[in-house]
Amino acid sequence: MTAKSTDGKEVYNTERHYHPQATDCRSNKMLYGAQVKTQYIRDTSLQPMETKSESFEIFLPEGVRTVDVKVSLRYEIWKPDHNIIITEFNKTVSLDR
Amino acid sequence: MKFLKLFLVVYLVMLPVSALAGKAKTIEELAAMYDSSSCKECHAEIYAQWEQSHHARSLMGVLGGLFMTPLAMKGKTPFSPDSPEEATIDTFPCFKCHLPQARVDADDAFAVDYAKALLAQDKARLGKLRITCIVCHNTKAIIHKRSEGHPEAGVLYGSKEIADHGDKIFKKVKKSSIMDHAIMCGQCHGMGPNLEFENPVQCATLYGSYQHNYLSKGGQKQCQECHMKKVDGLADHLLAPNWNDLDGTKKLLQDAISLDVDTVGYDWLLKSKDHKPMVVVNTRINQNAGHRIPDG
Repeated sequence: MTAKSTDGKEVYNTERHYHPQATDCRSNKMLYGAQVKTQYIRDTSLQPMETKSESFEIFLPEGVRTVDVKVSLRYEIWKPDHNIIITEFNKTVSLDR
Repeated sequence: MKFLKLFLVVYLVMLPVSALAGKAKTIEELAAMYDSSSCKECHAEIYAQWEQSHHARSLMGVLGGLFMTPLAMKGKTPFSPDSPEEATIDTFPCFKCHLPQARVDADDAFAVDYAKALLAQDKARLGKLRITCIVCHNTKAIIHKRSEGHPEAGVLYGSKEIADHGDKIFKKVKKSSIMDHAIMCGQCHGMGPNLEFENPVQCATLYGSYQHNYLSKGGQKQCQECHMKKVDGLADHLLAPNWNDLDGTKKLLQDAISLDVDTVGYDWLLKSKDHKPMVVVNTRINQNAGHRIPDG
């Protein structure tokens, strides 16, 4: 998710990652690869018939009253730069009426 | 002598047909044993769907990657042999699901050939090894082996019985108890760590998610209802997703996942006379698949 001021400057950028995470139980280092994974230690994945809710608070820098918010939901396949954009949301949000 | 004759007769009857045929020692031999190309003569549409599926390239991951290569490389995994000549079937625990026929009908000579092909990144040869029609419609079609016996040679198993199948080798189709049930897929799209190996192996946990976190919420669909939807009256054997088809996968993901976003901008009065300009973005990701996402 990003927020940019009207002059294009990025004022906020964050990510959430939803997936099960495993170690080999011989250290606390997370690992990929079926031949070494042993047990999940954390599972942030999207669960069936559940809604994953988040609330992001973006404190704006001085002088910025309007931002373009972009939320992108992606599915990464194998590596981060190989992904599918499931859906995107774009909206200009202003504090002024 | 009479006893010996009786023993030999009983012993031969008990041997599986595959044992009589001998175990595959090379990639080509195993590929030939499970070759399903004749199926397309009558089931062209289904065969074409399957050819695009990951079942048709089960030893290759996304974009053709040979994910088992580290298993053949010295020191790379706990299973890796010092040299490919020392590889055995147990070197490759992934065969359990990615090439089940290797655990049934191949011996250690096959594993050596396979290890060498991996190190050579010989995709042309490795691509001959696939989860073919025979694997699902014979090898994996019976799980109640004590009750129903082992899969018979010359018989296919489906969701309905066909007395005269019209094939030269597989002359009839018997009804499988599980072909249209989630457990059919759950045999490989699994439950969690595989602890039967000398080191744990954890791949897919999708069936565990289905059992414990989908059924418990009242979900009642079988895997086949979403992943093998009928196309012109026949179950789609693409078994989507096909991760190499980004557009098709996107549509599948969009069917299962939706995103709602609400925003508000205001001056937050954190404390007296100290307004903080702030934008709040609330997101809700809804998921209606029968299992966690991601999983496999």
